[in-house]
Amino acid sequence: MESLTILDNMNVLLCSINTLKRLYDISAVEVGQHFYWQIGGFLVHAQVLITSWVVIAILLVSAILVIRNLQTIPTFGQNLFEYVLEFIRDVSKTQIGEEYGPWVPFIGTLFLFIFVSNWSGALLPWKIIQLPHGELAAPTNDINTTVALALLTSVAYFYAGLSKKGLAYFSKYIQPTPILLPINILEDFTKPLSLSFRLFGNILADELVVVVLVSLVPLVVPIPVMFLGLFTSGIQALIFATLAAAYIGESIEGHH
Amino acid sequence: MANMIMASSRTLIRASTASLPPPPPSQKLPILNHITLPRLQLPLLNNLSLKIPIPNPNQTLKSLSVLAATSLALAPPSLAAEIEKAALFDFNLTLPIIMVEFLLLMVALDKVYFSPLGKFMDERDAAIREKLSSVKDTSSEVKQLEEQAVAVMKAARAEISAALNQMKKETQAEVEEKIAEGRKKVEAELQEALASLEKQKEETIKSLDSQITALSQEIVKKVLPTV
Repeated sequence: MESLTILDNMNVLLCSINTLKRLYDISAVEVGQHFYWQIGGFLVHAQVLITSWVVIAILLVSAILVIRNLQTIPTFGQNLFEYVLEFIRDVSKTQIGEEYGPWVPFIGTLFLFIFVSNWSGALLPWKIIQLPHGELAAPTNDINTTVALALLTSVAYFYAGLSKKGLAYFSKYIQPTPILLPINILEDFTKPLSLSFRLFGNILADELVVVVLVSLVPLVVPIPVMFLGLFTSGIQALIFATLAAAYIGESIEGHH
Repeated sequence: MANMIMASSRTLIRASTASLPPPPPSQKLPILNHITLPRLQLPLLNNLSLKIPIPNPNQTLKSLSVLAATSLALAPPSLAAEIEKAALFDFNLTLPIIMVEFLLLMVALDKVYFSPLGKFMDERDAAIREKLSSVKDTSSEVKQLEEQAVAVMKAARAEISAALNQMKKETQAEVEEKIAEGRKKVEAELQEALASLEKQKEETIKSLDSQITALSQEIVKKVLPTV
């Protein structure tokens, strides 16, 4: 008697799991599926590398094409690039202060790479290229990219502080009072953590929402969400660059 | 992750089926046919002989929950053939490769975009600022020239008035000289005239004197005829 009940329950459960599996086949949302290559003894996420090469190509080719022939009265393309450069310089100057000059390439590349990555993920028709496993999307939807950028930012603000103040830089851990020493040390871990996860979460979540919406109601409903995605991904690029500049500025700044 | 769940499920299966008679192979449910599982190690169970002394209703509930867990564990291996470790937090060599790519991109963009365009913009700004400031300078120059002109005019006028005054003084001096000369002449002639008049007066007085004596003698003669 008992054994029968248990087997019946098992039967019911397995039926429901099977229907779920069929639904899964219909929706085919591939989360966390990567296209693996092997380099040496290590695996890499090839889809991230491929899309990052595309982003780099877009940036470099457009820059080279525009900057070849500079006019005093700028053309449309030159004007756009000048606007972007002024914007980046403004962000750097506001956050870092007077010595912002050497940091413009770093902050600028950060902003442009993240911005073009995010918008390429949203706007370019990546689905045309079928990968054997996984799919192409924004390179910033991968934890490796965002953590790489965040670690570079960490290195950058450490380098800024050390090169400006030498070993006196480490006195900032006991400013303004030594009681805050554990919190200050913790900050050095939370800064790159928050930077990377903010960007990663925003981009991946937006992609997922759009994909799920498209799989459910492919006609009109996903479009506002796509626009929201463009807007927030642009903002995320700005936030990443601004925070990076702010951390650098904080390391460089003199005494209060 | 699926492997972990499978490993834990194996122990669960052994524990749960300890109290059950082994199900005959013919009774195997048709749905389970496509699952490729390691076979339940039934011969081992007889050696384990786990006797769980639990009252009946609780045993049903417990075995139900255990079965739910096992069925969920049975299902993922079938999906696992398609999922194949859904890995969101999969760190690998991609991280350092992206770092290197980013640094190379930074150097390249700096050489191609930030430096040349930045220098061009700064030079253009400086040129415009210079032109603006030079325009301001000529307007002040014009003001200076105006002031100079005014000063020159003033100086000229002052000169003229000074020259005029001097001329006036000179002519006045001449005039006074001439007047003085004339006056002297007139005075001299006056003196001459006075002197001549004096002379005449004395001559007439002298002549009068003689006439007066003559006359007086005649008067005496006439008055004194007989004498």
